[in-house]
Amino acid sequence: MTVLWAALILAGLGIFFGVLLVIFGVIFHVHEDERIKDVEKMLPNYNCGACGYAGCHQMAEALVSGKEPMVSKCKPGKKDKNYDPIIAYLSAHPDQDGTLHVPKQ
Amino acid sequence: MNYLGAFIMAIISYTLINNVVLSRFYGICSFIGVGNKVKSSLCMGAAVSFVIIMAAAICWPLYNFLLVPAGVPFLDTIAAILVIACLVMIVGLVMKKFLPALYQSLGIYLPLITTNCAVLGVVSENIASKLDFGMAMANAIGTSAGFTLVIFLYACIRVRLEASATPKAFKGIPIALVVASIMAMAFMGLQGIGV
Repeated sequence: MTVLWAALILAGLGIFFGVLLVIFGVIFHVHEDERIKDVEKMLPNYNCGACGYAGCHQMAEALVSGKEPMVSKCKPGKKDKNYDPIIAYLSAHPDQDGTLHVPKQ
Repeated sequence: MNYLGAFIMAIISYTLINNVVLSRFYGICSFIGVGNKVKSSLCMGAAVSFVIIMAAAICWPLYNFLLVPAGVPFLDTIAAILVIACLVMIVGLVMKKFLPALYQSLGIYLPLITTNCAVLGVVSENIASKLDFGMAMANAIGTSAGFTLVIFLYACIRVRLEASATPKAFKGIPIALVVASIMAMAFMGLQGIGV
């Protein structure tokens, strides 16, 4: 009986807070450049911070905005697995006004 | 002493005499991590205060009116963590929307409020010492005021330290830890005051 109550209460709390977070997420939605997400997926996602940014998301932001010109700042990244796909992706996807920010190796 | 007096005394006691960072040693991580800029330290203090006060206000009724009647008081920690994690996510979402620059400068320390032991410490202290709701809120308000005060003072000192000639071996974090220990000793002087 205790186990049942425990499971029920935890499940109820989890669902309640989950729904609450979804509502807040919709209300306070921030529009982000979709390329950031794609570039982040192409990074190793270790969040090691070796590039000098707080994590892979921040590194992806800097790469997309052109603030970071060197994709090889990402130390655990491999040339064929990470660098080349990111360079290819960013050469194919310019900014809205048409400027390209293609990082070098 | 009437209840209001006791309430105010409890707040003063939790703010100064049993200070959360310097005599109970909770929340050191964000204290060291964010306490190097005055503005971000104040904002961190505000974010932590919001989470502590809301968590205490939600967890107290949750424990006493839901977990205890249902016969599962042992779920207190996990339920408290659920509440705290949800609150921190909400703070993060709101901050990302309205204060993006601040969101950037707090960085990883904002989601890390989830594991800030000051928050869980207040909640489980309230439960363990069987405080009533008023005293639980006094604990939460006092603790968050103490955290904000100390992180602000610490940031003020560290900003001046950056500009002063520190021995090379002590530059950065080592001298910051020395400052924290001296501050803890200073706050120890308040320990004897009985309220």
